[in-house]
Amino acid sequence: MDPRSAHYPRLARETLEQTPGVRDAVTQAALAFDAHRLRAYGEVDVDAWRRWAEQVKSHVLTHLDTYLEQAEARLVEHGAHVHWADDAAAARRVLDELVSRYGVSRVVKGKSMVSEELGLNDHLASQDVEAVESDLGEYIIQLLDEPPSHILGPAIHRTLDDIRRIFHEVHGTAPEATPEELCAAARSTLREVFLSADMGITGGNFVVAETGTLALIENEGNIRISTSAPRVHVAFVGIEKLLPRWSDLAVFLQLTARAATGQPVGTFVSLLHGPARDDEPDGPDEVHVVFVDNGRSRVLADPDAWEALRCLRCGACLNVCPVYRQTGGHAYGYVYSGPIGAVLAPGLLGLSETLPLPFASSLCGACAEACPVRIPIPELLLAWRRRAVDEGLTPRAERAAFRAFSAVATRPGLYRAAGRLVAATGGRMARYLPVLGSWESVRAPLDPSGGTVRRGPRHGGAAQPSDSDQTGAPGSEVEPAP
Amino acid sequence: MRVSLFVTCLGDHFFADAVHDAIHVLEGLGVQVDVPAGQTCCGQPAYNAGYMTEAVRVARHTVRVLSDAGPVVTPSGSCAAMIRTVFPRLLASDSAAGAATDLAARTWELSEYIVRHLGRERVGQGLRGRRIAYHHGCHALRELGLLHEPLTLLEGAGATVVDWPADRECCGFGGTFSVKLPPVSAGMADRKLDTLPDADLLTSADPGCLLQLDGRARHRRMGLTVRHLASVLREGMDGSA
Amino acid sequence: MRDDVLARVRAALAGRERFPHPGASPSTARVTPEPGDVVDRFAASFQAAGGEVVRLPDVQRARQWVATFAAELTGVAQSPLLPPALRVEVPDAPPEQAELGVSLALHAVAETGSLLLSSAEGRLLQLLPPTHLVWVPVDRVRDTLAEALGTEAPADVSALALHSGPSKSADIGRIVVTGVHGPARVIAAVVG
Repeated sequence: MDPRSAHYPRLARETLEQTPGVRDAVTQAALAFDAHRLRAYGEVDVDAWRRWAEQVKSHVLTHLDTYLEQAEARLVEHGAHVHWADDAAAARRVLDELVSRYGVSRVVKGKSMVSEELGLNDHLASQDVEAVESDLGEYIIQLLDEPPSHILGPAIHRTLDDIRRIFHEVHGTAPEATPEELCAAARSTLREVFLSADMGITGGNFVVAETGTLALIENEGNIRISTSAPRVHVAFVGIEKLLPRWSDLAVFLQLTARAATGQPVGTFVSLLHGPARDDEPDGPDEVHVVFVDNGRSRVLADPDAWEALRCLRCGACLNVCPVYRQTGGHAYGYVYSGPIGAVLAPGLLGLSETLPLPFASSLCGACAEACPVRIPIPELLLAWRRRAVDEGLTPRAERAAFRAFSAVATRPGLYRAAGRLVAATGGRMARYLPVLGSWESVRAPLDPSGGTVRRGPRHGGAAQPSDSDQTGAPGSEVEPAP
Repeated sequence: MRVSLFVTCLGDHFFADAVHDAIHVLEGLGVQVDVPAGQTCCGQPAYNAGYMTEAVRVARHTVRVLSDAGPVVTPSGSCAAMIRTVFPRLLASDSAAGAATDLAARTWELSEYIVRHLGRERVGQGLRGRRIAYHHGCHALRELGLLHEPLTLLEGAGATVVDWPADRECCGFGGTFSVKLPPVSAGMADRKLDTLPDADLLTSADPGCLLQLDGRARHRRMGLTVRHLASVLREGMDGSA
Repeated sequence: MRDDVLARVRAALAGRERFPHPGASPSTARVTPEPGDVVDRFAASFQAAGGEVVRLPDVQRARQWVATFAAELTGVAQSPLLPPALRVEVPDAPPEQAELGVSLALHAVAETGSLLLSSAEGRLLQLLPPTHLVWVPVDRVRDTLAEALGTEAPADVSALALHSGPSKSADIGRIVVTGVHGPARVIAAVVG
């Protein structure tokens, strides 16, 4: 998909104004996910898991070159082919070459965020290769020609009625079809695709460097079938997805599931080691793993941003985020949305292209509390904001306003004068300050209480509001020039 | 017992009554209250918007005016969190670093000071029969770890704190967030207000959150009573006068 | 391309703090221990995930049970690795046509309610039939996933898989539907 993150404020407003049902659908889905996570976190010593997982991912990221080489060697030993892609275009070229080598006309896809990031579906369509999404949610949004609105539940912004309508058009199911009937229609279509596809494409949740294991987590079984039925399996994997050791897997598989859906583990976990062995009844003849950089090494190089690469793509930060819940993922204009999207997008795409996203947060901190690998998302958001200011990317009027703010807030006399002005103009302030117009566009006018509270020691009795500061020691009132 | 009150900028300009109620409550608990001269704002608006130079300047000013102040109490969870968790980092390489760390260690949010420092769980019995909805401001909740302190005081004064499913969700204020993205911010307030159970009033320890929730509730003509925790505690102390 | 990616990664890490591996993973024990022995706990967690569990005290009873269970079936896809005693007396069918797939678990896992399966027996028989029967010799039931996965990955199989209950999705209006792509029924038959 083409990133449209620069338009977040408009896209968010339009979502809220034009499709109010999205907010309800997303909120209900996210709250349900989050309630499951909270229950599942409570069943185990989750803080110990999270601290340990944070350390493992920080370890692997700060030794990433070594582990990438180790993973490559093990994968090749298993008979898999390893490719490397600098960026999305390079990843698509790898795919083109494989499509042509194997004469592929039909691809079945397992749900993969990185394949969205790389724009593989549109690209395959442009090459006259049919690519069918096999995850039910992905299949629904493919029918609707929409990008995913959530890492885990790509179609959570759509209601049962929306899905009934599109299935009625495409599959001829009854207008009042039950979810089971809709599912059966998708299942029979996709079953034929699984068995006729020449290639299965997936992402990867983890690659274990020690053993060359590609690990994939899912609930439907479509990834297992996509990696088993077609004769070629291609996995696109971000370079940050490594784990050092086989023995790291057990906790990471469980932590990911608990954070994502509250399950003890995903319904299906595939632990893949290359193509089918000679004595195995089935499985792919060819396995290709494509390590994708596409901006990740740039994020890794950034001491204020690299921690975002610990992300497991569980979606917990989206579910718990009150900002995300207002709009769902589409408003973020990028495949990665919500809190993690707001810190990844500037790193992967560039700050000036994605500027509103680090500001699309009230800094409430719920995301950091939910994150299974303890990514300090509010700190990373603040770092991007600081950089936006340092690089002069924020509006000129805002820069002037904060200079004025610091001048006033370091000069008590001026501060009190400003207080008097606020009190004197009362409800008419919005006329003079655009920022207050923005405040009052959705809220009742402010009601200033009149000047500043009187300073000084108190000796009992009620204090009175005062716009002067008779008792303050004059010497302490004046800020020396910095 | 003597404390210094950090009024905060929103306290000065929008919640002066609540500030005086905070003083009244503290004095009623036998605490002498000083309001140090020269105090202004903690600098959080600039910090959260990414303006570090400005934030450092204002933080340094606040550290200086509160340098000889003993325990500092503030009727704002967010400003207490700014001073306690951000100031030491923000001023780490500043000449005020030591003073910032010192200030951080002796700064308290109002309910936190009463419950944790004074060890008091009752200010009076004036809230008997009252049904109160409590909004947990994000910074008080997550940075200061305050969950039971305000509730203890409200319940200690006889109130019933109503069960509110969204009580720990952000109200959508977020400083400049509220004016940068008004529809999203308002939607967040609506989520709070739409899940609010039947209650006599809504309260919180955070002026920013109260501005947001009250502003949105009045915009929607909900007829909701929104008051600062300090004012509710004063009523708890004195009875509804 | 390979060397470019690795060079950028090395450049990114130059002069940066390198964090150590924290060592052994933390305990996965439940805060509130689940009741029962390891088989009971497996049964409870597998059922919680939507799976079915049958306890069969010996191979003889297992044969009797499966004969009844499969009495109406016309085609099954069975693991070639099944011990002869556990083979179902129904004609073989390819996985895409079989009414039942029959597997032998490498392990069952109590803490996650999972069956660990190997591609050595074939993958599609685990996935395509609408019902999946998995034999679990009782001594293969493990407490933890870490125990079941062992200290080393088996090098001689292309795919290990954990199956924890039937295929499911909540992608349509948040209503859970089972049997999306994989089996709608999964039965763990614990023998012994």
